[in-house]
Amino acid sequence: MVTSGGRVRELFVHPVKGLSAQPLAQVALRPGEGIPHDRVFALARPDGRYHAGTREGLPKQEFFALVSDHRLSGVDARFDAGTEVLVARVAGHEVLKADLGTDEGVGEAMRFFARLLDLPAGMVPVLAREPGRRFTDATAAGDRPMNWISMINLSSVRDLESRTGATVDPKRFRANVLVDGLPAWSEVDLIGEEFGLDGVRVRAVRQTRRCAATEVGPGTGRRDLPVVSLLQRTYGHQFMGIYLEVLTAGVVRTGGEVVV
Amino acid sequence: MRSLSELRLRVSETTDLTPTVRRFVLRDPWGAALPDHEPGAHVVISTPAGHKRAYSLVDPGTREYVVCVRRQSDGRGGSASMHDEVQVGTELLVSKPANRFPLLPSPKYLFIAGGIGITPIRAMVHRLRVQGHTGVRLLYLTQSAEETPFLQEFPGSVHHSDGGLLDLWPHLADPDDDVRVYCCGPAPLMHTVRTLTAHWRASRIHTEQFTTESGGFSPFTAVWAPTGLRVEVPAHLSLLDALRRGGVPVESSCEAGVCGTCRLAVLDGEAEHDSVLACVSRAASPQIVVGPHHHFRKDSS
Repeated sequence: MVTSGGRVRELFVHPVKGLSAQPLAQVALRPGEGIPHDRVFALARPDGRYHAGTREGLPKQEFFALVSDHRLSGVDARFDAGTEVLVARVAGHEVLKADLGTDEGVGEAMRFFARLLDLPAGMVPVLAREPGRRFTDATAAGDRPMNWISMINLSSVRDLESRTGATVDPKRFRANVLVDGLPAWSEVDLIGEEFGLDGVRVRAVRQTRRCAATEVGPGTGRRDLPVVSLLQRTYGHQFMGIYLEVLTAGVVRTGGEVVV
Repeated sequence: MRSLSELRLRVSETTDLTPTVRRFVLRDPWGAALPDHEPGAHVVISTPAGHKRAYSLVDPGTREYVVCVRRQSDGRGGSASMHDEVQVGTELLVSKPANRFPLLPSPKYLFIAGGIGITPIRAMVHRLRVQGHTGVRLLYLTQSAEETPFLQEFPGSVHHSDGGLLDLWPHLADPDDDVRVYCCGPAPLMHTVRTLTAHWRASRIHTEQFTTESGGFSPFTAVWAPTGLRVEVPAHLSLLDALRRGGVPVESSCEAGVCGTCRLAVLDGEAEHDSVLACVSRAASPQIVVGPHHHFRKDSS
């Protein structure tokens, strides 16, 4: 059965794990690959398992990220993949402009985040960057999961809101694709199925188990809503959203049709 | 009912500092000395109407406690009861002083006070002046000169919103690890200061909301029993994060208080809950001793 009515509402890339979502008007996808530039950087713990050249997928605890470091969401970060310049702003004021293509720029950015994270004297994060690799949460499950893209069904988020009375910003889930117009929780029935995302074939592979990163309010730098507990209390599980594997090449645009 | 930690004090003097702010001097009816306190300390006063309200102590010393109360016309009645039902001679139940806003040593300070939020800040600035500390800056934000308690004490530091809101950004743009920022005032001011210091070290930013429902977490000390390592757990960090920063490897999964992976054993001290999940649980005592929780997991996934 082919039904439609679903639409791609928003597209996001998160170049640095834990930092701001950057909206996209469109994105070119290729089979087996993720959103270009998504989570290609991470702030690794200097006393952890990541070191330059690490090719294995590491769990999120090896990195500074929202699950443990909510203050990362207090700055608005923008990475320009063309120039490799990372800009951070506080209330619209520029507080960091660093070229991640140079050692000086990386050093400047890491000192900035060491202060923001209030790390002990002498400790700075390590900028994790490995050609061909991403630092998504799913990376710990293997190299294929590393390239899954994440999707949120806005109807399911609204269902959570109506059942709990809480306002739940969908950006808390830091997904790549936000879709609307599908029945609430119908994305769960898609697991194992193929469907069309603005003409690009994708396969729904797994539900996304949420962690405490979703407690952090986007842009606030604070934990202000116990999303995992809300999910557990409301539904008896901790899932919101699904992972997708890209099967064909094509361009996905906001407004594009979702055909299931 | 009066608890052992409460004092029964008599109002010995009242003064109107502004049309809405009244100063109350509280003394022991028999002239006994009162428990000492440090700048930033507050007492909880039971008002004649039965509210419990926290007020900062504005002057040092053990002979008397001095609090200043702004009448909140849109409040819940606590300040109105203090203004309308308390006079010289009234006896009030007053808690012993507590301090959730302590003045920590620092080479430099930036104090930001909003309105009646000057009360703990004034105690801090006075202490530092007495000590001859030279690295003190104060921004005291009020509505108007008329509504500025202690106006004469802070020449050059007071900014009135009737002359336009002060832009705080120039004062906070450049984070300085040698500066501690102390802010007390209404919720929107605290929110602004927290927002504008997102790129500062969180440990350098100290805020106290001047209402009883301020909430928030209190810092405590955790001792890791296997090694005796002492770890300070500040308000903005979980026990789990603080232990990890101290080099203690605690296993965790959901980090939301659900899965139980990071459960710890409490060997001494009190926790907020019966069992301690390091990702969400905090101590109810100033110090807590914790160690690994030995147990058999039903699943190994």
